[in-house]
Amino acid sequence: MAAAQAGNGGVYRRLLSELTIWLRRYFSRRMPPAVVDDAVQETLMAVHRRRHTYDPRQPFLPWLAAIARRKWVDQLRALERHAAADLPDTVAVSDHESAVVSASVLTGLMSELRPAQASVIELVKLRGYSLEEASRETGQSISAVKVNIHRGLARLTALIVKTPDVE
Amino acid sequence: MSNDALINELAANLAPVQRRSILRETGFIVALGVVELALFLGVGLMRPDMGQAIAVPYMWWKLGSLAVLVGLCSAIAIRSFSPTSSPRRGLIAAAATALAAALVGALIDPGAAAGATILERLSPVEGIVCAACIIVLSLPMLGMLAILMRRGAPTHPEASALAIGLTAGSWGAFVFAFCCRANDPLYVTTWYLLGGGAVAAIARAVLPRKFRL
Repeated sequence: MAAAQAGNGGVYRRLLSELTIWLRRYFSRRMPPAVVDDAVQETLMAVHRRRHTYDPRQPFLPWLAAIARRKWVDQLRALERHAAADLPDTVAVSDHESAVVSASVLTGLMSELRPAQASVIELVKLRGYSLEEASRETGQSISAVKVNIHRGLARLTALIVKTPDVE
Repeated sequence: MSNDALINELAANLAPVQRRSILRETGFIVALGVVELALFLGVGLMRPDMGQAIAVPYMWWKLGSLAVLVGLCSAIAIRSFSPTSSPRRGLIAAAATALAAALVGALIDPGAAAGATILERLSPVEGIVCAACIIVLSLPMLGMLAILMRRGAPTHPEASALAIGLTAGSWGAFVFAFCCRANDPLYVTTWYLLGGGAVAAIARAVLPRKFRL
């Protein structure tokens, strides 16, 4: 990164390629698969825009992890804003189990939520169910599903922001 | 766009960047503070009896407490512009310091408030003017810190914005304290807190908006 700050494009390209692998692994454990690529690219752009804030006297990984964590929060907030919107078909995944397991950190955090919130977030945001399907599955009205997704994601975001090291 | 295409785009024509420096940012803030205070005092706005007032503990409490708050909050704000720093503990320390300052103020009796009712001591009309002056005087510092926040990489932008608001608010109160003729700690604590708190609330509400890391 110090070389990149000095304008060395070749080294920077290699660094970003290596970061992509790390970020993909980071977000795969925390986000639904459909939004992992978005989160990786958002983080790469943030690293690029804020590269002048890295101090070479300090270790690089905590700097990167702090930015990635912020992007995780931003992505959760984006999910929260679109809580009531129907998801496109591309969000649904064929292998539901692997999709849920892959977002293991997120799933672990959901134990902090009320069961009604956790169940609809898992169904709609991680398994790709529609609001109607989640409503039928849980016995909640569609309005309640929307409200529970919205409040649950807000609570998750607050948990991540307040907890220094969520794992 | 694929990740590879994005990486190629970001790495193409990569320009050198000037590293962020806490020392440089502190210098900007100190310079702005010196200029604002010099202008404020230079136009003759200092209270005329400052020569006598500075000799009493009340004035030392007022100026000293605000100076400590400015120093503490500005350090918290500047540190928070680094991605790895969280201002949360600092903000708690700042709140505790403000509370301690208010408690010390309650122990100080300049003798000016003897026999007066609470309403007379608070003097709401003058108090609102004081709070408004504090808000106006805090604006240059608020602007400077907002620019530094935008150029930094705060990963807790909401808390950073609050730290900025507290710095600017306590700075506005510090400058205003040189012209304020009130000698009652209750008045000072109430209206300075209201003015500074309003600045902090404005900063917290406005600065994180559209902030993108």
